[in-house]
Parts: sequence; C-alpha cells; structure tokens
Amino acid sequence: MNMAKASERSSARRTLDQVAWRLLPLLPFAMVLAAWIAYWTIARPPPATLPSVQDVAAALWELAAKGELATHVAASLWRLLLGVLLGAITGVIGGIIVGLNRSVSEFISPLVVFFNAISGIVWLPLVIGWLGIGTALAVFLIWNTVFFIVFQNTVLGVQLVPQVYEQGVQALGGGRRETIRTVILPGALPYILTGLRSGLGFGWRALIAAELVGATNGLGQMIFGATEYHRSDIIIGGCLIIGVIAIAMDRWLLLPIEQRTIERWGLVFDARKEE
Amino acid sequence: MQSARRRLSCSTLPGPDIRKIIAGVLLILLVLFGQQLYGRVTAAGRLNPALHGATGPRNVIVVLDFIPDRFHNERVAEYGVFAGRDGALNRIRLRNVSPDSLGRLAGVAWVARIEPLP
Amino acid sequence: MSATVARSTPSRLPDHRKGLAAGRPLRDLKILLPFVVLVAAWWAIYLSVDFSPQVLVSPLAVWRAFVHLISHGVMAEYASTSLRMIGFAALLSLLVGVPLGFAVGINHYAAHALEGFLRFLQGISGIAWLPLAIIWFGFTHTTTLVIVIYTLIVPIIFNTMIGVRAIPEAYTLALRSLGASRLRLVKDVYLPGALPSIVVGLRLGMGYGWRALIAAEMLVRKGGLGDLIFGARTFGQIDRIITGMIVIGCLYVVVDRLIIQPIENLTIARWGVLRQ
Repeated sequence: MNMAKASERSSARRTLDQVAWRLLPLLPFAMVLAAWIAYWTIARPPPATLPSVQDVAAALWELAAKGELATHVAASLWRLLLGVLLGAITGVIGGIIVGLNRSVSEFISPLVVFFNAISGIVWLPLVIGWLGIGTALAVFLIWNTVFFIVFQNTVLGVQLVPQVYEQGVQALGGGRRETIRTVILPGALPYILTGLRSGLGFGWRALIAAELVGATNGLGQMIFGATEYHRSDIIIGGCLIIGVIAIAMDRWLLLPIEQRTIERWGLVFDARKEE
Repeated sequence: MQSARRRLSCSTLPGPDIRKIIAGVLLILLVLFGQQLYGRVTAAGRLNPALHGATGPRNVIVVLDFIPDRFHNERVAEYGVFAGRDGALNRIRLRNVSPDSLGRLAGVAWVARIEPLP
Repeated sequence: MSATVARSTPSRLPDHRKGLAAGRPLRDLKILLPFVVLVAAWWAIYLSVDFSPQVLVSPLAVWRAFVHLISHGVMAEYASTSLRMIGFAALLSLLVGVPLGFAVGINHYAAHALEGFLRFLQGISGIAWLPLAIIWFGFTHTTTLVIVIYTLIVPIIFNTMIGVRAIPEAYTLALRSLGASRLRLVKDVYLPGALPSIVVGLRLGMGYGWRALIAAEMLVRKGGLGDLIFGARTFGQIDRIITGMIVIGCLYVVVDRLIIQPIENLTIARWGVLRQ
C-alpha cells in the first residue's frame, strides 16, 4: 500500500514538474512585469518616461474601443500580406527559373547579394518620391525584402536537388513541367520555407520602419505618431502588440507549415542529410 | 597523394578566408581613415608659410574650393571663432585659432588652403 | 539568412574550382560584370524614357554626386559615423551578449525560460522601440546606439544559448571527470563548441542591426548614411540618394561577405565537428 502511495506521489510530482516546465517561459515576462510595477510604485516616473502598467492597458483598451487599434493592425497586416505574397510568388518563380540554369544563376548571384544588402528601408527615400506615402510604399519595401531572400534560398534549393532524381523522372518519360512539379519543387521546399521564414522576419521589420515615416495608419505610424505627444503608453502598448503578432505569425503560421510540408516530403530532405 | 598536395598548397599561403578578412578589414579602415590620412599627409601644402610654426592663437581665412554647405561651416567653426566671410562665400574667417587647432585644420582634406587674416 | 550549403556537388551548383586555374584577378573581375550590365541597362532605360530628375537620374549624375560627396569630405564622415556605430554596437553586444548567453545556456531551466522571451523581444525589433528611445534620449547618438545594441544583442544571446545547449554533454562530463575547472570548461569546450553558433548569431544580428541603424539615422538625423539619404530626399537630390544607397550596400557586403562570413567559415571548419 505504501508502494502505491509512493508511486501516486511521484506521478503527481511528475505532472507538477511538467506544469512547471510549461509555465517556465512565462517567468521572464512575469519578472519584467513585476520590475515595472515595482519601479513605477517606488520611483513614480513621469508618464512620458515610463507609464504605469494600468496606463498602457488603458491606452490599448481605449484604442481598441474606438476601433482605431483594429484599423492599425488591419492596415499593417494587409500590407504585410500583400508584400509577402508578392515577394514569395515572384521569389519562388524567379528562383526556380534561375536555379535551373547554372550560367544565369552564376551571373545574377553578385547582383542578388548586393540588392539583398540594400533591401527594405534603404529604398524608402527613393521610392517615396515614386509612390508617395501609404500602402504602396510599404508593400514595395516588403516585396523588395522578401523577394531577394526567397529568391536566393529558392535558387540554392533548386541547385541542391540531386540530379539523379530529375533524371529518374525524365527516364520515365516526364516532361520539364512534370519534373519541376514532382522533384524540384518538393526538393527545394525546405530551403524555400527557410527563405520565407527569414523573409517574414525581415519583412515585418521593414513594414514597421516604413510605417514610422511613410504611412498615415498602421502600427508603425501609431507608435511614431504618439511620440509627438509623448504618449509612451501608446508606444509601449503598440510595441507589445507588435511583438505578440510577430510571435503569433511565427508560431501558428510558419512553424506548422514547415513541419507539415517537411514531414510530407521528408524523404527528400533526409536523403540529403545522409550525404 | 591528393591530400598531400592540398596540405602543401595550404601551408604556403594564408587561406582564402583569411585573405578575405584582411581585404575586408583594410577596406573598412580605408573608409574610416583614408581621407583623414590623405589630409594629414598633404597638410603642409595647405598652410600658408606665414602660419608655419605659429606659437600663439592666430586669425586665419579658411579657403575652400567650393561653396560650403552648413556641414562645412559647422566643421570649420569647431577650430576657432567664426568671424564671417572674407569677400566670397568660400572664404571663411576664423579668429583665435590655437596652434594645435591650426595643425589639425591643416590636416582637413577638403580645405583648400589656410591664409593669415591681415 | 540562407540555408547551409551541402558538401556534395550536384552538377547545377556553380563550380568554384573552375576559376582557380584562370587566376584570381579574372574571377574577381567576373563579379563586376553583372553590375556593368546593370548600369548599362539603367543608362539605356534612362535615355529612352523622359524621366523627371525627381524620379530617376543617369548613372553619370550618380557618379558625379559620389565624387562631389567624397571631395567635400561628406561621404567619408557620414560613412564613418555609421561604421563606427555598428562596430561599437557589435563589440558591446558581443562582450555582454556572449557571457549572458553562456550563463543562460548552461542551465536548462534558464534556457527554456528565456527562449520564448527572447523570441518576443526579437519580434518587437529595435526599430519598433525607436519612438520610445527618442522620448527617453532625444534625437541623439545615444538613441541610435541603444537601438542598434538592442537589435544586435538579442540574436547574439539567443544563438549563444543555442550553441551552448547543442554541445553534447559527453564532452563536458568527460572534462569534468578529469578534474577540469569551470574556467577550463568554458575555454576548451563551451567557447569553441558554441563559437559557430555565436558567429551565426552575430551575422544575423548584423543583418538586422545594419537596417535598424539606417532606419534610426533616418529619424534621428544626427549623421550617418541613413541621415544622408533621408536628408537628400528633402532636397530631391536623387543622385545623392542613389549614391548613398550604393555605398550602404557596398559597405554591408564588405562587412558581411569579406569579414563575418569568412570568420563563420573558419569557426565551422575548425570547430564545426562538434555539431555533427
């Protein structure tokens, strides 16, 4: 009977450990929150320097109630969606075409490296003269960022697909398009997804930067506009929302896509690992 | 046989990575200090002979080869007391320039020459 | 940013061995050819369409602007400001971030606790904190520095942490069983083992950090290449904007491809064995 009690206790202990393990990632957030509250209670800084937690929550609530928050978030996400879709589609198509042709990819490579180096915000002063401020500007900067990263990774992925698979399909009578669909695309997919994930990270940054100076709405504009009025509560609230959206995108959008597609085509990826 | 050959070629020259790092660092140093260095090397030619070996603060005219922007006016004004133009926009009067500042001003690459203020 | 390269050589990959026989100068020139073609195409487009100087200028105008900015000492100073800022930020971020990353990575619980938090901070990005930094520090170099350090330090801590965690316990246990001190462990196992990951973190951080720097300089307007191109926008000086863009790109390529990537290659070549 003691044995049963002991094993009960140890399994309870195990679940407690599991719960603690699950909750551990929240600890740093809790600590920062606690430090924030403590500092604010003790030092009472001016609201422009460091607003209280309640101020930030109240500011966010106010914006949400007025519907402004939703407008800003929607504007930002819409620009991101357009830019990323355009960048991904053009990047993958361009990358496949160029990746299949060795001399072209060798020739283009230095150009891609250079344009990747100036992708995003660096184009702002030039393009703002062409497109003015607003969604077109932001979409261009995001497209720019995502395109070159996805392109580079697609080219690499296409080039790394072992020729033997291609030849296999062709020996069985498959045409060019068939080869691309059944061998090249799945084979390059891990790299394409890596490029997408990376492009999304850079693209999100480019979006915020673009909205800081070149938009009339959107999360970036929301927090930069608040600077003029020293509304730190809006700024901090906006930053927190930006962080949450970034994590949500990575966790619930990209990671599942990556896992599911790589699992499906896992054979191709693992074969490469064995090389 | 092949590995021996590779080992030999690797031991005589620094590898391609090291060469790249050296080239990269040199380029960055060139950007950071190249113009400064050029200015210092040509400093003697900039300073009017009358100003050589100055022991006390002097009043000078800083002559540029171009119409200065606000950028240049600000930089020049760091070396002395700004005292207006000397006839043309590219001739800047500076008062109370210490010998040390004079030396440093002479080393500025985009300054054409420094003349004494009569 | 890009995936690692496989070691075998499928026939579609460019064969780097070909260039060696022809000599290095030829291969270096080959890199310039695409740019020559690009400039030629640019010139052709410029000549055939009647662009207003507000929209596009000729390559010649850009060259003239470049010479102008150099001879007037402007380019050297603005480029130096940016380089000094990124260099200083990188140094500080490494000095603070790597030890922090070690401290966190060695402890399983700390690493698990901080992983999500660091991802969150990375998601906010230094650029988003700019408005707050401007309120706290004003339009000064301090603002820029704080933002760039933030942008650099988070990936460095994160990747150092990953690097330390990836070291097989067998190595640390082996040395510890032989009586090695903590310091010795750090020097001989943790540091070399995590080094490839640290350099990857530095490379990623520099990618983010350079862009954050340009963005910060655009807003703070106290010098630097971001200030240069944004200021030129105010006066509609497209030639200066394009010059600035080219310099920004070239400097980043030099730092990333000629300095950091070779360091990455060297560390992986020497200590990458641990990862396999």
